[in-house]
Amino acid sequence: MREPVITPSTIADPKTKYGNAKSSTRHFFTQRLTGAINILFTAFLIYIVISIAGEGREGVVSLLGNPVIGIVFAILFAIVCVHMRIGMREIIEDYVHEQRTNRLSLSLNSFFAIAVGVVGVLSVLKLVFWG
Amino acid sequence: MTTRPRPTSPHLSVYRFTITMTTSIVHRVTGGALYVSSALLALWLAAAAIGGSVFDGVNALYGSWFGMLVLFGYTWALFQHLFGGIRHFIWDSGNGFEPGKREAIAWGNWAASAALTLLVWIVFVWIG
Repeated sequence: MREPVITPSTIADPKTKYGNAKSSTRHFFTQRLTGAINILFTAFLIYIVISIAGEGREGVVSLLGNPVIGIVFAILFAIVCVHMRIGMREIIEDYVHEQRTNRLSLSLNSFFAIAVGVVGVLSVLKLVFWG
Repeated sequence: MTTRPRPTSPHLSVYRFTITMTTSIVHRVTGGALYVSSALLALWLAAAAIGGSVFDGVNALYGSWFGMLVLFGYTWALFQHLFGGIRHFIWDSGNGFEPGKREAIAWGNWAASAALTLLVWIVFVWIG
């Protein structure tokens, strides 16, 4: 029987489940893509925090409640959560070897990233649509 | 008869700290710190959405000296990790591995993060 030929495109296909994360090169690529987008997030976050530092809630509502700013910020925040989930997953894969704690840590990691993302995005959307 | 644990390959403790190694470790540590700090940001956004005394409470906490200290660290971690990411992009493009160059990029990473952190805090927080 012939051995299947492993090409770069085989490895790039997440369905073939290469690597510890069983996600082939998808995490590698996603981490770089989201990382590049996070440069925008950082600039945006600094701008927002500087603009409303020391102001009351009206200042926050008038800035983040602006649909363009609020919705873009919410999307960027969700992308940050994707990036940090993959990053922490990589750390767990490096240091947590025992199978049960490894799986538990990975689940908690996903839960944390999703929870932070949902709370952040819903809060911003609340400010945008209901002030 | 007593048994000794099997010898393991030497780890971190045997290496002399170099700037490239330290910057790499700090990239991971700041990533972990930002991971935790994102909950602080989500908490602040939630407090803003809820409003009232919850928002005032969170604002007072973040505006206290300890809160400011954490936010200062958060700012630095953001910039250190951002420029660390750019350092990785330079490597991904196949550049910056040569001796001298890789050290220069690592030092540049620290200089840029320190400069931008101080810029943000001095210009916009302490003066503005």
